[in-house]
Amino acid sequence: MSALEYSTSMSSGWLAKKITKENRVGFAILVVISIAFIYFAIATPNYLSVFNVKTIIRDAAIVGIMGIGLTFVTLSGNFFLLSMKETAALSIIVFAMGMSNDYGFIFSMLGAMSIAVLAGAFQGILIGLGGNPIIVTLGAAGILYGVASWWSDNLVIFFKRPHDAEWLGTGMVLGVPTITISFVIFAIIAELVLRKTSFGRQVYLVGANRAAGKATGHENLPMAIKTCIIASACCAFAAIAFSAQMSSAQANYFSSEFGSSGDLTILVIATVMVAGNSIMGGYGSVLRTSLGAVFISATDNLMVLQGFNSGARVLSVGLMIVLSILIFAYVRRDSRSEG
Amino acid sequence: MNLIKQKLTELDPDLLFAVILSLCVFSFFAFSNPLFFTLNAGFSIMERFAVLGLVGLALTTLNAGFSIMERFAVLGLVGLALTLCIIAGEIDLSIGSNAALSAVIVVRLTDSMGAFPAIGIGVLCATLIGLAQGYLIAYLKVRAIVLTVGTLMLLRGVALFAADEKTVMLTDFRMTDFIQEKIWIFFSPASLLVILLFITVGVFIKYTKYGREIYAIGGARKEAIASGVNLKRPMMIVFALSGFCAGMGGAIIGLRSGTAQPLALQYLLLAATVAAFIGGVNILGGKGSVIGAAVGVLTVNFLNTGLVYNVTPSYVVQIYLGVLLLIVIVFQTLSILYDKGKQRRLLLHDTALTKQKMIDAYKSVLK
Repeated sequence: MSALEYSTSMSSGWLAKKITKENRVGFAILVVISIAFIYFAIATPNYLSVFNVKTIIRDAAIVGIMGIGLTFVTLSGNFFLLSMKETAALSIIVFAMGMSNDYGFIFSMLGAMSIAVLAGAFQGILIGLGGNPIIVTLGAAGILYGVASWWSDNLVIFFKRPHDAEWLGTGMVLGVPTITISFVIFAIIAELVLRKTSFGRQVYLVGANRAAGKATGHENLPMAIKTCIIASACCAFAAIAFSAQMSSAQANYFSSEFGSSGDLTILVIATVMVAGNSIMGGYGSVLRTSLGAVFISATDNLMVLQGFNSGARVLSVGLMIVLSILIFAYVRRDSRSEG
Repeated sequence: MNLIKQKLTELDPDLLFAVILSLCVFSFFAFSNPLFFTLNAGFSIMERFAVLGLVGLALTTLNAGFSIMERFAVLGLVGLALTLCIIAGEIDLSIGSNAALSAVIVVRLTDSMGAFPAIGIGVLCATLIGLAQGYLIAYLKVRAIVLTVGTLMLLRGVALFAADEKTVMLTDFRMTDFIQEKIWIFFSPASLLVILLFITVGVFIKYTKYGREIYAIGGARKEAIASGVNLKRPMMIVFALSGFCAGMGGAIIGLRSGTAQPLALQYLLLAATVAAFIGGVNILGGKGSVIGAAVGVLTVNFLNTGLVYNVTPSYVVQIYLGVLLLIVIVFQTLSILYDKGKQRRLLLHDTALTKQKMIDAYKSVLK
C-alpha cells in the first residue's frame, strides 16, 4: 500500500473508526442532545446575539477557572475536592478584609492566595498519605467554611467602590470583560502545562496508573500536594474576581444559591465531568473542562431565556452529570476491570 | 481472668479509639465549661454516660433522656445509612438531597392524605432512588462517589421541582404531633422506630448471608466476586437501605417541624460522616458495626449539645466537626501506613531469611 492510499483510507475511515460498536449509544445520545440544543438555540430569540454569547462565556468564567484547577486533581486520580466553594469562601473573606482595611489589591490578593495554598497543601498532604480525598475534603470544607464565617462574624464585608481591583471585577479590555480573558489565559496556560511540561505528563501518569507511577519514582504524595495547591489557588483567584465584581464579600456567597444552579462545588465538579474527563484520572484535558463550563453556562442561559425556574435548571445540570456518567461509564464499561 | 485478657485482645482498636475520642470530647467540654458542674449538669453527665453505653443508668432525668433520643433519631438514621455504605466500601453523597426530597414529598402530601400514607410514599421514593443507584453502580462498575455526586444535584433539582422552589408547610400542624408524643418516658414513636431499625439492621448484617456479603464486597471485593458473590445484590441492598434511612430521616425532620426546604439538610452529610468514622468504620471498607455507628452518633450529639451549652454559633460547630473528622482520618491513615510498613518489614525479614537459607544450602552442596 502506498503512502497516499494509506492516508486516504485513514481519512475516510476516521468517523467510522470513532463510532465503534461499544460507543454507538453514546454517540446517538450526543447527536440527539446537539440537535435539540441547536434547535432551541435558533428558536430562542436573542440567544445567538454577540452580546448574549459574551454573557455566556463571562458567566462560565468563574466556574470554569475553578474547574480548570479541579481538572488537575481529577487527572491525577484523586477524584475531586469537596472543599472548592469553602476554599473560595475563606479566600473571599481574606481578600475583602484586606481591601476594606486599605492594604491594596496586591497584598490582599497575596493574602488570599497564601491562605488558599496553605489549605490546599494541608489537604494534599492528608490525601497523599492515603486519606480518602472525599472524606478529607469534606472535613476540611467544614473547617474552612467555619473559619470564614467565624472570622467575618457571618457579616457582609464592603469596600468602597473606587478601589484598585475594579479592572479585574468590572473592567474590560477591547470590549471583552477581564474575567473572560483571564479564563482563556488560565485555560491556555493549564493546557500547555499539561501537554508540554514534564509535570503535566507526570499528572497523567500518576492518574492513569498509580502503581506504574510509584515504580518510576512518581509517588502520589507530592502529586496530590501540587494538584491540590493548584486547585485551591484557582479557587482563590475565582473568589477574588467575584469579590472585585461585587465590591463585597460574605462567607456564604458561594453556598447553595450561587448564580442559579445550586451548589457551587457540585457545579464545578459538573464542569469537569460533563465533557468526559475520566473521573478515575489519567484521561481528559483542560479543553474539555472549559467546553463543559461553557456548555453548562449556555444551557443555563437558554433555559433562563425560555423562562424556566431554578428547579428546572438545577435539574438539568444534575441530569447532565448523571447522563455523562452513564454514557461514559457504559462506553468504557468493558475496557476496565474495576471502576 | 484469662477470659478478660482474651476479650481485651479481641477488642476492635478502632472502636476503642472511638470511645477514647468520645471521652476526650466529653472531658474537654466538662472542664472548659463551668455550667457542666452546676445544677444543670445532670443533662451533660447523663450524655457522657449514654455514650459509654450505660444508657439505662444515665437516663435518670426524664426530659434530658427524651431529648437525647430525639436527637438520636434523625442523625442516627443518616449515620447508620452512611456506616452501611462505608462498610461496603462506597460513599453515598446523595444522602442529604435524598432526605430533603423525602421531606418535601412527605410534607406536601400530609395535608391531603394524612401522615402515614405520606410517610409511606416519601420513604418508598427514597428507597427506590437508592435501589436504582445501587443497581447502576453495580451494573456500570463505576464508583459510588462518581454517580452519587451527580444524583446529589439531580435530586436537589427534583426536590426544588416538587416544592415549586418554595419552603413547603403544613396547614394543620397538629396533624403530626403524634411523632413527638412521649412513650415510656424517654421515647417518641420516631426514636423507637430508629432503635428498632438499628437492632434489625445490626442483626441483619451480622447474622445473615446477605449481610455478610456486604462486609465481603467492602473488605475484599475481587475475592468476594471471585468466590461467587453477585455484586448487584449487596450493592442494591446497601443503597436501598441507605435511601430508606435517608428518606425516613427526612420524613421525621419534615414532620417534626412541619416545614421542608428543598435546599436544606446539606449539613447532614458532614455530621453523618463524622458519626460513621468515629464509630470505627474504615474507608477501605469491610469494617464497622451498628454499635459503632450508635457510639459515633451519640458523640456527635454530645458535641452539638456541649457547643450549645457554650453558646457557640452554628457555623463554629462545623469547625469542630471538621477537626474531629480530620483527627479520625489522620489516625486511620497513620495506622494503615504503620500496617503497611510492618508488612514490608516482615516481607524483607522473610526474604533475608530465605536468602540466608539458600546460601547455607549452597554452601553445604559445595562442601
